[in-house]
Amino acid sequence: MQNITLDFQRDQLSNGLKVLTLEDPSHPIVTYQVHFATGSRNERPGTTGISHLFEHMMFRGSKELGPEEFARIIQANGGTLNAFTTIDNTSYFENLPADKLALAIRLEAERFANLLLNQEILDTEREVVRSERKLRTVNSPFGLLIEQLFAIAFDQHPYQWPVIGWDSDLRRLTLNDCLEYYRRGYAPNNAVVVIVGDFKREEALALVDKYYGHLKPEAPGDPPPAPERPQRGEKRSIYKKVSQLEAFFAGFHCPGITDPDVFPLLVLGHILSHGKSSRFYRRFVKTGKAVDAQVEVDPPPFWSMDPGLLQVYAIAAPGVQLGDLEHDIWAAIEEIKNGEFDDAELAKTKRGLTASCIMGLQSIFFQGLAGGLYEIKAGDCGMVNTVLTRCEGITAQDIQRVAQRYLSEDNRTVVTLQPITPEENERLEPVE
Amino acid sequence: MFPVKTENITKVRLDNGLTVIGLEYHKLPLVHITVMVKRGSELDAAGKEGLADLTVEMLTLGTGRRNSQQLALEMEQLGAQYTASSGWDASFVEVFGLSQDFTALMDLVGDMLLQPTFPQEETQQSQQRRISRLIQQRDQTEVIANEIIVQLLLKNTPYAHPPYGTIPSLQGLAAGDPRSFYHHHYSPEDTVLLVIGDLSPEEIRQGAERHLGDWKAERKVDHPLPAPVRPTGRKIIVVDRPDLSQSQIRVGLLGINRKDKSYIPFKVMNYIFGGGGFSSRLMQRIRAEKGYTYGIRSSFQAGHIEGPFIISTFTPTSTTVPVIEEIVAVMEEFVAEGAQAQELEAAKNFFRGSFPLQLETPGQIAAELLKLELYDIPFDYLSLYPAAIGNVTLEEINSLASTYLLPEDLILVAVGRAEDFSEPLQNWGEVELVEYAELARGSFSLNTSRHASTT
Repeated sequence: MQNITLDFQRDQLSNGLKVLTLEDPSHPIVTYQVHFATGSRNERPGTTGISHLFEHMMFRGSKELGPEEFARIIQANGGTLNAFTTIDNTSYFENLPADKLALAIRLEAERFANLLLNQEILDTEREVVRSERKLRTVNSPFGLLIEQLFAIAFDQHPYQWPVIGWDSDLRRLTLNDCLEYYRRGYAPNNAVVVIVGDFKREEALALVDKYYGHLKPEAPGDPPPAPERPQRGEKRSIYKKVSQLEAFFAGFHCPGITDPDVFPLLVLGHILSHGKSSRFYRRFVKTGKAVDAQVEVDPPPFWSMDPGLLQVYAIAAPGVQLGDLEHDIWAAIEEIKNGEFDDAELAKTKRGLTASCIMGLQSIFFQGLAGGLYEIKAGDCGMVNTVLTRCEGITAQDIQRVAQRYLSEDNRTVVTLQPITPEENERLEPVE
Repeated sequence: MFPVKTENITKVRLDNGLTVIGLEYHKLPLVHITVMVKRGSELDAAGKEGLADLTVEMLTLGTGRRNSQQLALEMEQLGAQYTASSGWDASFVEVFGLSQDFTALMDLVGDMLLQPTFPQEETQQSQQRRISRLIQQRDQTEVIANEIIVQLLLKNTPYAHPPYGTIPSLQGLAAGDPRSFYHHHYSPEDTVLLVIGDLSPEEIRQGAERHLGDWKAERKVDHPLPAPVRPTGRKIIVVDRPDLSQSQIRVGLLGINRKDKSYIPFKVMNYIFGGGGFSSRLMQRIRAEKGYTYGIRSSFQAGHIEGPFIISTFTPTSTTVPVIEEIVAVMEEFVAEGAQAQELEAAKNFFRGSFPLQLETPGQIAAELLKLELYDIPFDYLSLYPAAIGNVTLEEINSLASTYLLPEDLILVAVGRAEDFSEPLQNWGEVELVEYAELARGSFSLNTSRHASTT
């Protein structure tokens, strides 16, 4: 297999703004991305959800641009655009015809520097986000369970609250909270610009310098959040909601993105539940015991910056006892701890990971994300080029070791969904 | 590589009538293989909805040479990903892997297509998996809303049911049904193999010849398809889910078929009305100005027959009626005042400029070429596209708007807490209420339930 690398060039303006560039003239398009090292981990109790709400505000106008005009101009120039907020970062991007890069640089710098914030816009956007919360979490089959899982698993670290925020906080966030968040989070020395595609590096750097060079850096922000205290014993909880089926969502505390154990955990997750020849699929899904059963492992650039949760979930098929299913799933994980897997299974998994990594490079957009997120979360976009070799080097002993270390009962939090009728639901307090 | 040049696409027919389309892609060592059988879920017989989709999955669950586990293992030992599914007008097997494995992957594809064995136990297991998924799906209100609106818009056509079927129809399938569907509807003459990868056209042709060239089966007769009837008057379906704090809303109209000469102007009209994200009128009014929802869009599906043209959104229970009123107001204004020259220009620039973004990856290119091939549209569509977009006029847009955006003749579906909005909706049209319990059984049928005596 040929070695495929993304050779990002890293530059930095005197105000601290980092710029990653990667030229690829094979197709006449370009992606322009601005990643900020601020997400829900940088929030405080009482203002949860502000990172994401603020992301919305970035589309609502600036000194030069009216509400949504940013989006309309980009689209009217053949571009697509969006933004996303996670626990660790807030990212904005435009994918454009190659000759429109300068436009994206100018417009992104404009809203970065001159955002317009007022009460009316905040109040409208607050309702939009509350609607989004209802869509993604409150009215979704499992959103509230996952929310509860994190809320219980973490006592101290900000990963305990959802990126979209608690509804009570969304209702009371103020304009001042937004202005303070803007000042702290949106400084050039807290951001990484990424450009990938059909462009000339020198010209692009000159444009970035022209539009961002005058921005003033901010003093270093808050220290990193306090680490979560070690868990000593399983935590368990029940969540009642109207549902057709029973399910459980579990999480095991696991290390953050820069820890070498990320890679054996990734391989372990794939062995258990990636593909139709995986253990979970064969045993639980194919045979009709579970509608779905998965170990959730995010590909490395999407892995959490601080120690997070490795999630395991299963939705019981009708007529299957959830307790039996859960028992069988933990038994399947015990087998890994006991070293009950062979070289062929390991080789298959590594090959699958290699192919997935190559497939992940098909679009310049994902190439840019990989570089930008590694830079934000681990301080080094070059780590993207180590993923394949790191996975390749994983041994059976590594997998057994991480399974024993992290996937223990004492390190586990479990939330089970207990279905109730609409009538029973009426008797419980509504959740917003 | 771009624009995907028509002259770089190779197209040959094997002796057995199977069409082979190839395109070289050298950026990464990957290959994207699709088998498209031009027969889909529209051929599900009444009472056997979901059969086309089950049939194509069965190709991956046992062949003369491999059982389902061996197939899965061999694919995944090569690092390949594969899916099998059917939709309107076609069924697909897709395989995505490393180009160095092309021969091995084609061996698997050939085996699946030519020698499926339809093992009884696998059929039963898949039926059961599908039923369980549909039971779980009853908790996804967006799916319920989509199913109902399509069912009503395409009533009396073979496109009214979801390709994955219904709980009763899946329960009613017999063990021999997939084999019978395969023998009745699959043949090389109606099958297309598309390969996009780090391979030469000759390698692609040889791979096809070797692994699919021996397939012999008679071509099946085309059945004439009944066209859907445009809705007249307003029809309102309310699905009661009292536990929800937000309603799912669909407003349904009938759109066009893929061969309609207005296809491209229709795309542009839809972009301005509701398809263009923040550039669309629906998003501007209902999200940006009113803050009623996180998202609203209109979209249309065009196949062999006229497909749905649907406005989709969701909003907190208390704003359900205001959102519906605003949607209708935006429709009425568009019809009365027409689009503006500036909107048309912006839409054209979007479609022309973003075209290369839609054709970047093998999967994207495959999806585009397959849609053209399915509806017999020559591949030079790709080179003519920018000019065709450029030629769209304001008159065409406005004429389409007044023909298709019919605020008095539409179907409305709202899934949510009925007691909060079904009474005011009665002023707006006749309301039919579906209860949650009925829905949960998976056997609800429309038009038979009683009309709402509002609570």
